[in-house]
Amino acid sequence: MITNEQINSFIEKIPPAPKALQTTIMFLNSGELTKAAQIAETDLALKSYLKNIVNKPIYGFRNEVSEISQIFGILGVSSSQQTVYNYMMTLLSPNKWVLFNLNAPAFHELQAKLSRRWKTILDHLDINDIEIESAISLLPSSIIVSEALFAEKKSDVDILRSVNNLDLNTIMNRLCGLDLFDICEKIAHKWEMPDKISQIVQASSGFKPSEDEDINTLGKWMHLLLFYELSQPMFIDAKLNDFIDFNVDYVGDIYDEFTTLLEIS
Amino acid sequence: MRALVKNGVGVFTPQGFLDGNNGGAFLTIEDIEATASLNVDMVLVSLKKVIFFNRNGLDVFVKMFAKVRASKSVSVGFCDYDEKKFDAIKKFYKNDLSFSLFATQEIATLFASNFKDGAKNVLLYSDDKSQRSAMAIELHDGGHNPIIAQTEEEFNTKKAAANAYDIVIENSHLGQMGQNVAARVTGNAIVYTISSFLDVEITNMFNIAYHNNSLNVGFRLFVFDAYKVISMNIHALNFFSKLASSAAEYNATLCFVGMTFDKTPVAFKENMEDSGIMFFEQMDDILGNKDLLAELGASSADSGLHRRLINKVMVKELPQFISAAAATIEMMTNSVASKESVDMQEVNIGDHDGKIASSIGFYGDIDGMVILIFPQDIAKKACQLLIGEETDDMDLVLDTLAELVNIVGGKVKTLLSDQDINVNITLPRTYPDIDSLLEIAQDRKGVQVDLSFDNDKFLFFLTR
Repeated sequence: MITNEQINSFIEKIPPAPKALQTTIMFLNSGELTKAAQIAETDLALKSYLKNIVNKPIYGFRNEVSEISQIFGILGVSSSQQTVYNYMMTLLSPNKWVLFNLNAPAFHELQAKLSRRWKTILDHLDINDIEIESAISLLPSSIIVSEALFAEKKSDVDILRSVNNLDLNTIMNRLCGLDLFDICEKIAHKWEMPDKISQIVQASSGFKPSEDEDINTLGKWMHLLLFYELSQPMFIDAKLNDFIDFNVDYVGDIYDEFTTLLEIS
Repeated sequence: MRALVKNGVGVFTPQGFLDGNNGGAFLTIEDIEATASLNVDMVLVSLKKVIFFNRNGLDVFVKMFAKVRASKSVSVGFCDYDEKKFDAIKKFYKNDLSFSLFATQEIATLFASNFKDGAKNVLLYSDDKSQRSAMAIELHDGGHNPIIAQTEEEFNTKKAAANAYDIVIENSHLGQMGQNVAARVTGNAIVYTISSFLDVEITNMFNIAYHNNSLNVGFRLFVFDAYKVISMNIHALNFFSKLASSAAEYNATLCFVGMTFDKTPVAFKENMEDSGIMFFEQMDDILGNKDLLAELGASSADSGLHRRLINKVMVKELPQFISAAAATIEMMTNSVASKESVDMQEVNIGDHDGKIASSIGFYGDIDGMVILIFPQDIAKKACQLLIGEETDDMDLVLDTLAELVNIVGGKVKTLLSDQDINVNITLPRTYPDIDSLLEIAQDRKGVQVDLSFDNDKFLFFLTR
């Protein structure tokens, strides 16, 4: 159904991060917001994405924000870098979604919700780390990878899942010895994202706890956050709720704190 | 959302957080009705992967359950939860618990009317005395051996005895059960349990598709456990007479055990006997009498009198069947499956040792049966995607082989449908050894195809 050759071919086809993005991220990393904004202005697609995403209700700005310098200024270094990484992920997303009932606005909505709530979680955990904040950007790439690899096999996936509750991650792992999160890690390497980002996302799969306690804790929060978002009607309708398995036991020790923080009752 | 249907139980598995806003997105009434229409006895929502739920979230499902119950005779409820979740649900619904609660899917399956896995010793406890009795009666009717603990203390003591019970039931609740006629397999006979007043409703309560499937896969003896029948009317009489006539076409026999005619006209009995139905006072009179069982065709699963030859349509569509089997193996193993030889013959398995098999029937515009025969190790390899790990558990391998042949059946259905040929598929059946397969397949003519993947050979046999 899915072979290692197909996976390798998918990874090979991932383009390197565009020059403008690399430079934007480099300036953001060194805290030079103005220079970063100047470079970002030259990439019209990035500019449009940033404007669109930060004006979503979840960002909570009263007035429309339209200038990149203004956007970076309001978001700060960490959130700006996270948002630019979010844009990079959209470069991988398909024009037409087949496996999932998604479209570009819905995917951007998921990115925005994950990003803002991840920020809330990190503030609660008193973590101020540019790499950790950006880690959430890589998480939705698991959805893009699923779509890319399984879209042509939709009928096989449907028939297989009609007799056995296998999630896409397990199917891939059993067939190829690699799972969706391993491929996310390969994307991160290709785009020269810091290792910490892929380590957190690997742990957030829910089935590969990290030996590093701090990374593992962040993985738990991210796993629970992902399923909080995938329980929203919009994403259930998109058929995202069960594309990977939710490991309830993995997040047991942070669950109460999570529900209190997000005021779930 | 789509339910996973196994052993007559359809289970939906939502994940994450469940509240009033998203309940309707997880599950629609159409999803439940579509599942109920697959002749299931139960439709359940698993709470195993739900970390949070509130009353509003459950209410969305409970309302749908009530709607489905009003039109279809299926049990509905929740399963796969821990004690904390069980207590929460009981607190939410207090005196209004009309749906069922099963702590695990395994427990739920015991209460499904098509349970096939043999009688189980079951320890059960509920703090509600009426629930204890209700569960014990249902289990007994299903052919199991329930042991009721009267107090929590007694329950804990008994539960501590290792391996004393096959299954322990606690934190469970029987809501309104489906009124379907319970069926169980005993040896090569199928035992249906019927009770109370039998009238025209029997046509709805009796799972005719299951019965026909059983005939198609070779069962020849059907026993109605009628100890609890109070009376029957003319509509029920007509139903059983027709059932006996159709069974006769397969050379199958219907028997009634324990039926009294105090409140039913004795003339009904004569009518039923004229239709070929036999009457016995005790279950042992029939199931304990080997000679009689042999005479009635229950010593083997197939009397051999209803065999038909492969016809032209089947031969024309043979490539679709082979494609379905090959594509399934390719999907499951990432290898290329190839056809080595095709012959019209009786099934020829060669060495019987260490081989297992599975079959699935299909009926509709054309009818027949696909049988797959594997050496055990190759079956494990073919099922690796579904099993996931090394195992020597043959029950697990057989269950998985049933899933594999079910996928083949699904693909056959799709491929034939592309040719405007509509078929339905039966439940899959597995055979732990070749002798049990030959009970139904010996002397049948069909098309045998030797297939292989990764140089591992297996047999495909298409017959009618």
